[in-house]
Amino acid sequence: MLLEVSDLFVSYGGVEAVSQVSFSVGEGELVSIIGANGAGKTSILNAVMGLVPPSRGAIRFDGSDITRLASHLRARSRMRIVPERAHVFAHLTVLENLLVGAYGLRKSMDVQQRLRSLYEFFPVLEERSSQLARTLSGGEQQQLSIARALISDPKLLLVDEISMGLMPKLVETVFQALHDLNRRHGLTILLVEQNALASLKIANRGYVLEAGRIALEGDAADLMRDAGVREAYLGI
Amino acid sequence: MDLFLEQLFNGLAIGAIYALITLGLALIYGIFGVLHVAHAGVYTIGAYIGYGVYAATGNLALAFAVSALLCALTGVAIERFIYVPLMKYPPYVPLISSIALFMATEEFCRLVAGPYVLSFSTNLPFPAFSFSGIRFSSNLTGVYVIAGAIFFFLWILTTKTETGLALRATSMDAPIASSLGINGALAVDTAFALGSAIAAVAGILVGIYYNEVHPDMGAMPAYKSLALIVVGGLGSVEGAVAASLLLGVAETLLIGFAAIPLPRDALAFIAMIFVLMWRPTGLFGARS
Repeated sequence: MLLEVSDLFVSYGGVEAVSQVSFSVGEGELVSIIGANGAGKTSILNAVMGLVPPSRGAIRFDGSDITRLASHLRARSRMRIVPERAHVFAHLTVLENLLVGAYGLRKSMDVQQRLRSLYEFFPVLEERSSQLARTLSGGEQQQLSIARALISDPKLLLVDEISMGLMPKLVETVFQALHDLNRRHGLTILLVEQNALASLKIANRGYVLEAGRIALEGDAADLMRDAGVREAYLGI
Repeated sequence: MDLFLEQLFNGLAIGAIYALITLGLALIYGIFGVLHVAHAGVYTIGAYIGYGVYAATGNLALAFAVSALLCALTGVAIERFIYVPLMKYPPYVPLISSIALFMATEEFCRLVAGPYVLSFSTNLPFPAFSFSGIRFSSNLTGVYVIAGAIFFFLWILTTKTETGLALRATSMDAPIASSLGINGALAVDTAFALGSAIAAVAGILVGIYYNEVHPDMGAMPAYKSLALIVVGGLGSVEGAVAASLLLGVAETLLIGFAAIPLPRDALAFIAMIFVLMWRPTGLFGARS
């Protein structure tokens, strides 16, 4: 398994947001964690990325224990996050945002070549490369956030609530892009989503999170057929 | 007219010195979020170290280098041993400790070097010349060249290098920057080291320009630079530099040349009050 999380607890000031969560993501998989707002999805991703400290539990990535590793060192072992609401650097240009994504990699990879292939995937970013990121629309910022993560050629991409605040049409495009990245380019992706239907449609496997605990897990197709899931999350 | 121009150039030099002190404060606030009042203490220590090294060796370049280096280390030590352990408390805790630390550095200088005004009587090794009736002393030329070189270096660093990009990214969003592989603690160290080294240079320049080094020399810069980073827009380095240059010129022209009957040092605070009323984010303030 590329990522293995076991018995993870995250709490904020004594309030438990994540309780005893265990899950794994294998190489080449697209795994989705679905759940309602406030179920602890973002806390899980932030704990994996090292942005919040877990109170208990263990996180293993690519064969080593990273539970206590600083965030920037996790990033350097080729893990990247696309945070909720994009979080682009508003006062840097689009190109500068992408170069931050390639921080420390200029010697080991051909950054110009990476930029060219990303621009092929996201043509709007090339058009706007010298604009400040804050002048982009929400969908464009989301694309920039994905491209900023992808420029480093990560082994694992964490994607946090990418559908939030996007128009339905864009949601479809963005999920299609993630699907392509996984199926065609072999990128391993861990998705957390409120939009259960769209994310299960493209996932191999899924976990259902309820009040900080894993309530259900299985193949994405099985989850979509599950009566409880259909009623609670898919609105069918 | 000549007098006006002469005053203008003097004011610009004073503004440049203000800028050298204030930009470190802006850099540190931008990346670390602490109002580092003790920055003016580092500036005072820098002036004393420069004075001491020059008195002992007669080598001014060495005095600048040793002072900048030791102050860079002092700045990083203050960050690591005082601020970082206090960051888990509300922001007023590091702020208060910073004020206490500033007073402690003043008293430290008084204890070590005595409560006297030391005379730093030397000239910066730059040519003095006259240009269409306006006299540039070697010290005035020196302040321009040294400050100009530092501004240029910082501009190259922040806009053309990967380190500069990492500093800017960290000051905008530290957690996200770290999730992209940037070592946030190193970025903070860099800001303290750079800002403190530049404050040391400013301390020596002031010592030579006014021919005096004394334990209280940091008092006025301490609160003036606070007013200046508010005027410039908290955390904006270019705003801090612009506000400092404007203030140097305004102080000299309005009070020195136009003889407006105001205490010179009040101007920075009047400017701060007006800027806060009219544009609370400061002249260059981008973040809300």
